Amino acid sequence: MNRLRLSAAVVLLLIAALPLLAVAGASVRALFNAAAWASLADDPLWWSALGLTLWTGLASTALAWWITAWLLAQGFVRQRLGALLRGLPVMLATPHAAFAIGLVFLISPSGWILRALSPWLTGFDWPPPWPTAQDPWGLGLIAALTAKEVPFLLWTAATQLQRDDVRQRWRAEHTLAQTLGYAPHRAWWRVIWPQLSARLFWPLVAVLAYGLTVVDMALVIGPASPPTLAVLAWQWLQDADLAVNARGAAAGGVLTAVVLLAALAWRGLQAWQTHRARHADGQRGRARPSMFGALGLALLLALYAAVLLALAVGSVAGVWPFPALWPEALTAQAWLSVWSSASTVGTTLGLALLSSALALVWCVAWLELGPRSWDQALRPLLYLPLVLPAVLWVVGLYSLALQWRLEGQWFGLLLAHTLMVLPYVLLALSPAYLGFDPRAAQLSDSLGQRRAAFLWRVKWPLLRRSLAASAAVGFAVSVTQYLPTLYIGAGRFATVTTEAVTLASGAQRSLTSAYAGLQFLLPALAFGLAAWVGRPRRFHTMAP
Amino acid sequence: MSLQVHIRHIGSAQRVLLQGLRFEVASGRILTLMGASGSGKSSVLAAIAGTLHSVAEGAQALRFDGTVTLHGTDLTALPTARRGVGLLFQDPLLFAHMTVAENLLFAVPPGPRAQRQAAVQQALQRAELADYGERDPATLSGGQRARVALMRALLAQPRALLLDEPFSKLDAALRDQFRAFVFDHIRAQNIPAVLVTHDAADIADPALVLALPTDA
Repeated sequence: MNRLRLSAAVVLLLIAALPLLAVAGASVRALFNAAAWASLADDPLWWSALGLTLWTGLASTALAWWITAWLLAQGFVRQRLGALLRGLPVMLATPHAAFAIGLVFLISPSGWILRALSPWLTGFDWPPPWPTAQDPWGLGLIAALTAKEVPFLLWTAATQLQRDDVRQRWRAEHTLAQTLGYAPHRAWWRVIWPQLSARLFWPLVAVLAYGLTVVDMALVIGPASPPTLAVLAWQWLQDADLAVNARGAAAGGVLTAVVLLAALAWRGLQAWQTHRARHADGQRGRARPSMFGALGLALLLALYAAVLLALAVGSVAGVWPFPALWPEALTAQAWLSVWSSASTVGTTLGLALLSSALALVWCVAWLELGPRSWDQALRPLLYLPLVLPAVLWVVGLYSLALQWRLEGQWFGLLLAHTLMVLPYVLLALSPAYLGFDPRAAQLSDSLGQRRAAFLWRVKWPLLRRSLAASAAVGFAVSVTQYLPTLYIGAGRFATVTTEAVTLASGAQRSLTSAYAGLQFLLPALAFGLAAWVGRPRRFHTMAP
Repeated sequence: MSLQVHIRHIGSAQRVLLQGLRFEVASGRILTLMGASGSGKSSVLAAIAGTLHSVAEGAQALRFDGTVTLHGTDLTALPTARRGVGLLFQDPLLFAHMTVAENLLFAVPPGPRAQRQAAVQQALQRAELADYGERDPATLSGGQRARVALMRALLAQPRALLLDEPFSKLDAALRDQFRAFVFDHIRAQNIPAVLVTHDAADIADPALVLALPTDA
């Protein structure tokens, strides 16, 4: 039995590790190109692009981290975590690019905010020439990234806080700190947050990596000249000239180094912070009633509602002259043309369903069979796609696809998506799966049940909610893939994301909105389905 | 100088857990509250410490109607943090991200650094754990952890101490030792204490025992 289990684990490992290592290896190989580095060093733009990357990536990550900690503090202390997490699925399901597109519709010179204020307050009869859509300081990008990452961090924190063992223990520790005289908020910051934030290290690295290397969102709402380094690298990668391509790969290497350095710096900062929290000065803090917690969450929800509404209205807007708050005519034209290109939706759905299913099966098998020590040792490898910048990752993917003759093939695209989806599913599933009480298996064994019966009838049904949610996360990640889809698909496959981002630079507001809306709707449906599948069982007999 | 508790009623909207309970504990004395599981004895402690809301998390919220007076001060409306009532749980609940000494330091009231460190060292010595300050709490034995938990509760200088079956998870030999350790320290601190247990062997003071009626 044990030998069988080990060999199964080895097979699983090979299935995932081989492509991951091959892609990573090919990515790194692209960096050993002296000419590429020289041409990067000579480029006049890249220093300022790097500066913008650092500024937008670090500022958005710091903001998201701080807001998340603060919202969690409010939620935990007031025992309102449930309410805090209720709006999360909608926010999580909103793809980055769709959010950026909707946000641009709000804040651009001809956007809803200025329309609402014109002409009665601003006096504008014409959109002003303000750089609010793709501002050169990256403020729009920072706002969009922050608003998108807060729900992600909240959700990863929730996966920790919802583990039965952890939740009960932390609740008790929080109570205990209060019996020692600490005010509820101070007790949270001194006792619970240091323990929770240590567990959020990998999610935060993912956020950092994302913020520093994002392309699709930066194309829509980020600065344009110069753009961030990731966008610059992407432009170089698409160039017809191979030498310019190599320069793009080198820029991807720079981004990798930046992500690694930032992650290291974060580790140091966190160690310093927990050190401070541990060496308590004994100050107990004062209890303070706070109304702002609910307000902060309401603001975030309102922003998402406004963005989604902007997309919804935008997708059916016909003629819409400037100061008017509402379009003069509504039309279904955009949705009709989306409908007529049904293959786009079909490709998106097929890729998302298959890649999330494959990733889920792999993750369950791995968590069930893989020895815990292997799992811990291999996490860095499995998380590689999260940490490596997408612009570098696609370079490796592409050369692998060329080698294996998968370029422009549906199967190659599926492989690319699955490799990206896998770490997210693993990240989503692990806490609940590994936190499952091991005594249940022993109990089932002692009742004479076979292992398969235990898995199908006890463990997986009990973990149904986490399994469904993880699959939905995988689905959403696949839907939002931009670079791999374009690059490995060799332009032959369009998904709602590639369409939305490509259209965002044009003037077809309604068609852009429709695709962006669809980019939101598909994951939202997946999350809705996951919530339905994972709903708690209703027992019909009432307690006496 | 004493702890006076008057519980008119503890319960949820659906059912009454406890009603009509009144007791008083003088400083340096230990009242033992006996009862089977489900008799609401832990809820009595939660009502005194003001932690009822976190006990009932997830289930129906428990409501407390009554008064708690400590040394003449009415605690009923105060938040837990300002009651000055220590609580020793069944589990030692040492904070996993802190060393043993840091766990103790956490409880020491603010003041000059050297003085606070000295208080920690003194507590470690009294717990016979002088060399264990820098240890990870997870590496201590059950009995050692229990002693650290008591020291931590006392370092916060509570004006009353509540003990929620603190011996139930220790094995028999350790239990006797730790029981004596706890009772000695409470008497030395000269504060009122309430001990909840279902084991008659835990009774601290045969003259001060209150048996809760069993619910079912």
